Amino acid sequence: MEQVSMEATNPNPSSMSGVAAASAAELLCCANARALLDSVDAFLFDCDGDKLIDGVPQTLDMLRSKGKKLVFVTNNSTKSRIQYANKFQSLGLSVNQDEIFSSSFAAAMYLKVNQFPPHKKVYVIGGEGIVQELQLAGFTALGGPEDAEKRAQWKSNCLFEHDKYVGAVVVGLDPDINYYKLQYATLCIRENPGCLFIATNRDSVGHMTDLQEWPGAGCMVAAVCGSTEQEPIVVGKPSTFMMDFLLQKFNVSTSRMCMVGDRLDTDILFGQNAGCKTLLVLSGVTTQSTLDDPSNSIKPDYYTNKVSDILSLLGE
Amino acid sequence: MATKAAVSVSVAASITAASSSSSKFVINTPHRFLCLKRLSSFSSFSASALAIKCTSISNCSPNKSARSMEGFTTRTRASAQPLENASELIASVETFIFDCDGVIWKGDKLIDGVPETLDMLRSKGKRLVFVTNNSTKSRKQYGKKFETLGLNVNEEEIFASSFAAAAYLKSINFPKDKKVYVIGEDGILKELELAGFQYLGGPVCKHFNLHEDGGKKIELKPGFLMEHDKDVGAVVVGFDRYFNYYKVQYGTLCIRENPGCLFIATNRDAVTHLTDAQEWAGGGSMVGAICGSTQREPLVVGKPSTFMMDYLANKFGILKSQICMVGDRLDTDILFGQNGGCKTLLVLSGVTSLSMLQSPSNSIQPDFYTNKISDFLSIKAATL
Repeated sequence: MEQVSMEATNPNPSSMSGVAAASAAELLCCANARALLDSVDAFLFDCDGDKLIDGVPQTLDMLRSKGKKLVFVTNNSTKSRIQYANKFQSLGLSVNQDEIFSSSFAAAMYLKVNQFPPHKKVYVIGGEGIVQELQLAGFTALGGPEDAEKRAQWKSNCLFEHDKYVGAVVVGLDPDINYYKLQYATLCIRENPGCLFIATNRDSVGHMTDLQEWPGAGCMVAAVCGSTEQEPIVVGKPSTFMMDFLLQKFNVSTSRMCMVGDRLDTDILFGQNAGCKTLLVLSGVTTQSTLDDPSNSIKPDYYTNKVSDILSLLGE
Repeated sequence: MATKAAVSVSVAASITAASSSSSKFVINTPHRFLCLKRLSSFSSFSASALAIKCTSISNCSPNKSARSMEGFTTRTRASAQPLENASELIASVETFIFDCDGVIWKGDKLIDGVPETLDMLRSKGKRLVFVTNNSTKSRKQYGKKFETLGLNVNEEEIFASSFAAAAYLKSINFPKDKKVYVIGEDGILKELELAGFQYLGGPVCKHFNLHEDGGKKIELKPGFLMEHDKDVGAVVVGFDRYFNYYKVQYGTLCIRENPGCLFIATNRDAVTHLTDAQEWAGGGSMVGAICGSTQREPLVVGKPSTFMMDYLANKFGILKSQICMVGDRLDTDILFGQNGGCKTLLVLSGVTSLSMLQSPSNSIQPDFYTNKISDFLSIKAATL
């Protein structure tokens, strides 16, 4: 049974040390649900995994009707926001692309807010989602799915070339990872002065198929760490970049935001690091026993069975 | 971060509590290298001082040069001295351990003066050993390379990290009815076979569509399940030019789901000189990938872990203080020598330049440095 991993680039010392352990998580009930609703202007939903299911569309509608802002946060970088919006719609959820914050979008926004020069290029180890978001943000993307079939050659007179104008390498989940991509990214980071190394996220595994877990972006990112001896800038959960971006966008203080998710080490820690309220749902990977286990030091403010409890507890 | 020229520190090896306590294989050799951190500098230490706490294993990145070491004090070494009295150094040791890439050859080209130097050392009764982190060839295949280059070297004198992986499994009595899953190339497979172990994996995927395993197409779709052999008791990861997601998943499943499954790395070199013209992503990359998906640290058998040093000291009955390690990399070769308590000589004929050695961000100081090993041929070393 793997331990809860601390993948945060900005860990919250008090929640990690367990010394000053947060008070126990409260089970969501009618009284505190109302209090939660009144104290929060924005709800951030983790949408990795399949928890946005039964009763969720009605719950979202209710929250919107009360003027709450909704944000759907995902570490999955394989799709762009538009592609996610389409996926939600096909599941019967009406979600606007502006309400979605995918790690693919986060990577593009990181470059934008940090004034990445437009004449520089970005090399991508990852899927179409990252490439699209970079292009939408006005950047030139190299690599991505295109490099899946490329092979490196290693003959004496053959030099592996790389574009000297690459100023950033973005690494995300890539089931088509190969040596060519690793080598290209490695040369850019090691040899292009000032080249940034950005990771969409560092999740070690994810449920790419319903029957089992598969290696996540954390695998590709660690591969590049291994050959460059550098640490990446992480833009996805549980790094606070996304949160800082949302703060600016909504002009709402984090204490008036509530993070809703099923993973203690990414979703809940993410919310806590930023000073948000946190609500754990037990409809995903975390069980009651994992939450209550003495070895767990991450305590959300509230917990409940599923997202639609928010609706039913308010008696709406 | 000035990591391009500087040498960075990394975690070389650790056995997680889970794997050592649940492992059924008795580790009957005192290999405390198993819990060794790659340190920027420290004095030669006794075995008891090797009880270093392995902290922060959740992060597989090696770039933590500021990481402090718990458990014992470090002493900064004096700066490396240019080799001025070669015969004094030669007389003071009984064995020379040579790294290969950047010391003996560069790519497929022999470095000037190497054959004469080796002959001279042998004529003085010195034992010569060759230790390389390159796991793509077996020691037999390396023997052939030496022969092709006109060097008189016996395969018994060669220790590649491919051999080290098999030797390690032998040393812990890895059961013959268990299997080894390999993410790596031919050298590892050959050495495992020679040692009598059953293996799966290897570079074979290069012969097939990368998304196929014996005809089964890998598709990340509902209903697809990747099976893995429950008898795999160890996953060995090394440099693999045919690396792919399928191999990562297979290795990950074995490590996460087979009780007591070992995670062994041949080496963690960040880059390697596949061609003499440039650097190439090295074994550290493949190992990093598996760390990333399993959240476990591997047991490293190659440099700078002292496994190979302990092995050959034991095999040849030599004292570490009687050994001089000669290499071109600070964070593998020189650290290897220092970890083992040997004298160390850095040659500048490989990846490390004088400015890198003398850079303020470098904290690994060999005892001596010189241009290339043929400097031994002069009574006083050639001026640098």
